[in-house]
Amino acid sequence: MGALLEVRDLVTAYGAIEALRGVSLEVAEGSITCLLGPNGAGKTTLMFSIAGVLTPRRGSIRLSGEDITGRGPASVVARGIALVPENRLVFPGMTVRENLYAGAYQRGDRDGIEADIDRMFGRFPPLRERAGQEAGTLSGGEQQMLAVARALMSRPKLLLMDEPSLGLAPLVVEEIFRIVGELHRDGVSIFLVEQNAHMALKVAHHFYLIEQGRVTFSGNPGSLAEDEVIRRAYLGAAPR
Amino acid sequence: MLLDLAQNTLDGLGAGASYALLALGFTLVFGVLRRANLSYGPAIMLGAYAATWTSLHYPAGLLALAAITVGGSVLAGLYVERLCFAPHRDAPGPGQGRRGSAIAAMVASFAVWMQFEEAVTLAMPRHLYAFPPLTAAPPLTFGPLALRVEALVTLAVAVLVGAGLWWALYRARFGIAVRAVIERPAAAALAGIDVSRVSVRVFALASAIGGVAGFLIAATHGQVTPHLGMWTTLKGLLAMMIGGIGSLPGAVAGAVLLGVLEAQSQWYLGPQFRDLAAYLLLFALLVLRPRGLLPARHAA
Repeated sequence: MGALLEVRDLVTAYGAIEALRGVSLEVAEGSITCLLGPNGAGKTTLMFSIAGVLTPRRGSIRLSGEDITGRGPASVVARGIALVPENRLVFPGMTVRENLYAGAYQRGDRDGIEADIDRMFGRFPPLRERAGQEAGTLSGGEQQMLAVARALMSRPKLLLMDEPSLGLAPLVVEEIFRIVGELHRDGVSIFLVEQNAHMALKVAHHFYLIEQGRVTFSGNPGSLAEDEVIRRAYLGAAPR
Repeated sequence: MLLDLAQNTLDGLGAGASYALLALGFTLVFGVLRRANLSYGPAIMLGAYAATWTSLHYPAGLLALAAITVGGSVLAGLYVERLCFAPHRDAPGPGQGRRGSAIAAMVASFAVWMQFEEAVTLAMPRHLYAFPPLTAAPPLTFGPLALRVEALVTLAVAVLVGAGLWWALYRARFGIAVRAVIERPAAAALAGIDVSRVSVRVFALASAIGGVAGFLIAATHGQVTPHLGMWTTLKGLLAMMIGGIGSLPGAVAGAVLLGVLEAQSQWYLGPQFRDLAAYLLLFALLVLRPRGLLPARHAA
């Protein structure tokens, strides 16, 4: 299997502080890859760097072999990467349908967009019921569905998901992970950041552990090191 | 007595309509950038001066002068955007992202205001220039009430512009992008919307709407002075604050209320109380209803 996404020696900094200190990893075509790590390890920074919102200082990001390092987010979306951001960030004053239109902003094919909205409503039935309702009135789980659907409206090859289970009730978390599995069966490659390591390792094919801006471990779920990885993902490496 | 009240209201509506245009432009820029653009009015003044200069040197029709005012306002507005606002944009990122300096942008827009005022007084040093009047037609009369044709034209234009703006924001693809940027710039960028391009376009649109207002105001008063810049910024800002910062319906409501209140207080209390009444209203609102008449629901 070829690597869909290839990150090499990525360094992203805020002023003098390097949040990523040479991160290298791969997401295989058609896989669910998971990124674990404690708070402040650089998970969101990595997601924003891949999505083109943050400009890395060094290193490279390739999508299907094409160098996309330093391109803006609009250009990255156009090339087939969509990020479902942490805390969902739906447009609260816009209707559910308008949120989906925003996700399809770069597309010109009107009929295709309408057909895709219909497909999203099929996949996420609560969204159909609330199509004309403002997104701010939706429950947390529904907003997460909307955020995923909005990202899918750009027809991405690779879906980045930053903490999709954050702040959701356990039953809703189950639902979100069921959706992740479904998307994978439909052929979308997924790169997932999760605090909920137990849930994430259930669906992932491969995982990376990131600590203090560096990848410190990678492997497949079920390996012997899993317990240790989970402990470090929650608690961070022992002394800093 | 009641007749005076009605007549003043009618007069106030005409002024209120031009304030509404000013406030809509102001609110659009504020909504997208979260910045007050003090150079908003001075850019409009520059457009009006370009039209005045043209009318002094060439035989130009009213439509041509309107186009020059609007075009000049847009060019001056884009200059302001480049110089004052583009360098201080908020950049999305984890958490709140990197915040641009709102103070630096506002101070810069003040500096450009002074620059514009100096430029027009150097180029056209007289304190007052005649601007071709909108019409020589006498006021329309409805029984005992009279309505100036200028006021009617301004009202009609304001309604048209307002409807067009509503359509652009709520029925067009462009509007999806603008509202997404207003609500959540980081999420808009992630959806593939080019946030800085949208900001520049909104700036141009706001300047164009302001330019329309500037032309109508200059042609209604039949004159321009360098004070037009401060005057338009003040009226737009006041109407926006009365109506509710960041809210487009609020901008219109605040503008109409401001226009009518000015007309009433000028009639009943005298011209020296006109502006005082406006500021008293703002003061009362800031105490009693600090978010304005019709506040924006999702303002950050």
